[in-house]
Amino acid sequence: MPDERDAPAAGLLRLFRAAPFRLTLLSLALFAFAGAAFMAYVYVAAAGEARRRTDAEIRREADGLVEVYNRAGASALNPVLVARMAGERRFVYLLMTPDGRKVTGSLAESPVEDFTGAPAWIRFSLSGPGPGRSPSTPARGLQLRLSGGEILFVGADASDDRDFIVTIVRGLWGAGALVVVLGIASGLLVSRNFTRAMTGLTDVVAKVRNGDLAARAPVRGAGDELDQLSEGLNDMLDRLDRSMAAHRHAGDSIAHDLRSPLTRLKARLETALLDMEAGRGDARQALRQALDDTDGVLRTFSAVLAISRLQAAGEAPNAVLFDPAGLVGDMTELYGPLCEDKGLEIASDIAAGLTVRGNPAFLAQALANLVDNAVKYTPAGGAVMVRLRRRASGDAEISVTDTGPGVPERERSRVVDRFVRLENSRNLQGAGLGLSLVAAVAQAHGGRLELGEGPGAYDGSGPGLRAALILPAVA
Amino acid sequence: MRILIVEDDLSAAEVMARGLSDAGHDCLLRPDGLAGLEAARGGAFDVMIVDRMMPCLDGVGLVETLRRDGDETPVLFLSALGEIEDRVTGLRAGADDYLVKPYAFAELVARVEALSRRRETGSVLTQLRVGDLEMDLIARRVHRSGREIDLQPREFQLLEFLMRHAGQAVTRTMLLEKVWEYHFDPQTNVIDVHISRLRSKIDKGFEHPMLETIRGAGYRLDA
Repeated sequence: MPDERDAPAAGLLRLFRAAPFRLTLLSLALFAFAGAAFMAYVYVAAAGEARRRTDAEIRREADGLVEVYNRAGASALNPVLVARMAGERRFVYLLMTPDGRKVTGSLAESPVEDFTGAPAWIRFSLSGPGPGRSPSTPARGLQLRLSGGEILFVGADASDDRDFIVTIVRGLWGAGALVVVLGIASGLLVSRNFTRAMTGLTDVVAKVRNGDLAARAPVRGAGDELDQLSEGLNDMLDRLDRSMAAHRHAGDSIAHDLRSPLTRLKARLETALLDMEAGRGDARQALRQALDDTDGVLRTFSAVLAISRLQAAGEAPNAVLFDPAGLVGDMTELYGPLCEDKGLEIASDIAAGLTVRGNPAFLAQALANLVDNAVKYTPAGGAVMVRLRRRASGDAEISVTDTGPGVPERERSRVVDRFVRLENSRNLQGAGLGLSLVAAVAQAHGGRLELGEGPGAYDGSGPGLRAALILPAVA
Repeated sequence: MRILIVEDDLSAAEVMARGLSDAGHDCLLRPDGLAGLEAARGGAFDVMIVDRMMPCLDGVGLVETLRRDGDETPVLFLSALGEIEDRVTGLRAGADDYLVKPYAFAELVARVEALSRRRETGSVLTQLRVGDLEMDLIARRVHRSGREIDLQPREFQLLEFLMRHAGQAVTRTMLLEKVWEYHFDPQTNVIDVHISRLRSKIDKGFEHPMLETIRGAGYRLDA
């Protein structure tokens, strides 16, 4: 494709092939057709008008002459005619005896044949002397019988009419040619702009196809369909890019965070083998340790996988509408004995009649992780509160509040990241994936995870953590 | 117990067969879905372990075919696909249980044995008895050696499951699945605490402890 753009001829060809240019040509053809019809109408109308005007002039002239005749007779008409023939070049006259012989006039004979006596209009050709008269100047004439029986013919040069029509037609042709030229020019301009914009888009598509996800289509700011298309394409690429980045990140995290426990496992097995060969140590104990390590690795692996899949899917699989009250109650009940053993008080406050849309298993896992964290970090004598309520916005909120050390505000966004564990939790088991999974579940449900401060200092510890899983209201 | 293993990963299948044989079961190995179907039609098996993804005929196809033929042999699906929707498709195809790879061998054995038991107790029971422990399913009462034991509703369900699988190992995940009906991997020892509660109620004050912990596997209730 790039070489096609390099050659100007090919570029022009491409321009002519462009869809908008073809559309312009089509509309131009339609316009030309309409223009031709318009021109024909103007021609007919103008020609008719010119003839009517000439006829009116002839009629006026003839009427004037007839008046002279009626007032003073043929003897008075004759000198008038002679005088007019000398002064007025536009008209031709012929006065004939009742039997059609010429008395006086500027024509040798009347062009009217078979004169019946009724006023007769005729179109004829003038020849002979006169300004700008060609051998066959078009003319109109009127022949009538005077009251004394003589015949009067008055004609007029109609070449002015023809000139008028010719001028109009020439003007129309000029306008038509101008329309065609402007049409083609604007077609080329429009299609060049369009092609340029399309080239931007096709370039982006080509780049993306070649693996460059950073390419973005230009948005010209015109707000038209092309801009909308570009914006849509860019938005799509942004999402794709983010999703790819998430995948890459997931892959990196998995590689990074499985490497250290696997290295540890390998070291343990090697040591065990050496010990066994040297006849010291307990091989069974070493194997058990190794198995426990493997379990840890697998657990981390499935958690990371679950998070990545949720993030990649962007929505909760197999979502159903359900009342989360049962789930919240179940999780509180599940953790009841564990809390009691640890010397923690656990209580729940569950609102009735809420509906959420989601995957109960993932939400149960998320809530279990939150309660798990609370139990893990809250010292004995503390309390854990699980609450389900409807927010003023209509969203459902499942929160777990504890009286543990809490998470400092500046750390709150960080603990949601994968594998992040705060300094004071290093000695506790876990891969630091709990909150990441909760956040991923929340996001997949169109909700979010909010971390805040607990009830404040309580019994020597605090300020506690309040983790809330917020799920959008179901209309 | 006769077990048919249909699995295309032969080394995994052999390890599985050896382990199950050590546990006293009779195993037959088939490397793909078609061979597995043939074997399943030929012999009476107590349980089938079927890998979900196999050449020729996959696990879902195999189980669907068997169920259409009226073969109700319990099937345990093995799968590397752990998503909830995968699980749902597997169970909908007619499998009785679903285990995601990689799994603990103890978990596999426990689930296989639980499946074989499921078929035996097809009839509706009103009473369960394990040694001197009795459970009245209708009155929801439990007695041991004639002494009534007061249980919370969840403890009752837990004990019922253990009694129905008496003599078998049951894992923590199985308990969470069957008693609480949630499918996820409990991070902490949350199930253990429930078990120890139950244990203190049914074993405390008796000479012979019935509920034992099996290291690396789970729990077993035994007379």
